[in-house]
Amino acid sequence: MMDYVIYAFIAVSLIFALTGVVGMLRFKDSYSRMQASTCISTLGVLGVIIGAIIYSVAELSDISMAVKLGVLGLFYIVTSPISGHAIAKAAYRRGVRPEKKMKCDKYGEDLEDDN
Amino acid sequence: MKKTKFSAFLSTTVVCYLFWLLLTGQLVALIQPNNPFSAQVLIAGAIVSVLTALFSARFFVHEKAFWFFNPIKLILLAVYCLIIFMWELIKANVSMFCYVFGLKKTNPGIVKVETDLESEYAQSMLANSITLTPGTITMDIAESKGKTYYYIHWIDVSTQDMKEAGDSIKGTMEKWIRRIWR
Repeated sequence: MMDYVIYAFIAVSLIFALTGVVGMLRFKDSYSRMQASTCISTLGVLGVIIGAIIYSVAELSDISMAVKLGVLGLFYIVTSPISGHAIAKAAYRRGVRPEKKMKCDKYGEDLEDDN
Repeated sequence: MKKTKFSAFLSTTVVCYLFWLLLTGQLVALIQPNNPFSAQVLIAGAIVSVLTALFSARFFVHEKAFWFFNPIKLILLAVYCLIIFMWELIKANVSMFCYVFGLKKTNPGIVKVETDLESEYAQSMLANSITLTPGTITMDIAESKGKTYYYIHWIDVSTQDMKEAGDSIKGTMEKWIRRIWR
């Protein structure tokens, strides 16, 4: 019975990981690709971790492994957006712009005002 | 260089040691008696967390040092992370699914959004929450004339008005974060 719950969590996370990969290939500019890859790093990872926690408690009855997995998920959630900020900001300052013009670009306008 | 305050040092040490205990699986000894504490691991963890805190406390703690040990706020934080934020995350992931497989058209752009959170922790937590939800990435935080602005790359710009865009990006997250860090 518990097997199917674990399979369900891992299947959901695989669906969202697939979404992220397809999005990275389909979208046209680098910022939208980063948006798609966030799918992998949130529900894609969390689903696997939750599935693994249920597996380690229900099947292996190993609580310390479940605690470690929980801490791992927490660290992942806390640290992954920071690289997102850094990459997006660095790309923009370096002059990466999408080929198709963005609908509005408040950041570029304000950067020009400063200079 | 800033000096390390003792309260900041103490709270960083306690948090480091707590995570050490969780990661090495020592806390399980409280539940399963056949699996006792190991003195070696406990002492090594204490030394490492004291050293880490000595070097890094001044970067971590700028405001109230003992915020983390207030149980009401910890419960609020847990509710925010496990319920409010998870719900936002699932909604955003499903809408990202629609954009990727062509059910909805994307319309990317960078909008500017105002926030009235004051604490540094709250601002960075809101920025990280926004970045973690697929569809929005915080690119920069700027302060001008005492107000804080986020520049957010948004995959579907439905409105350029600062207030409406803020409401639809931040959703209920800002209200909860203000409640946590008050």
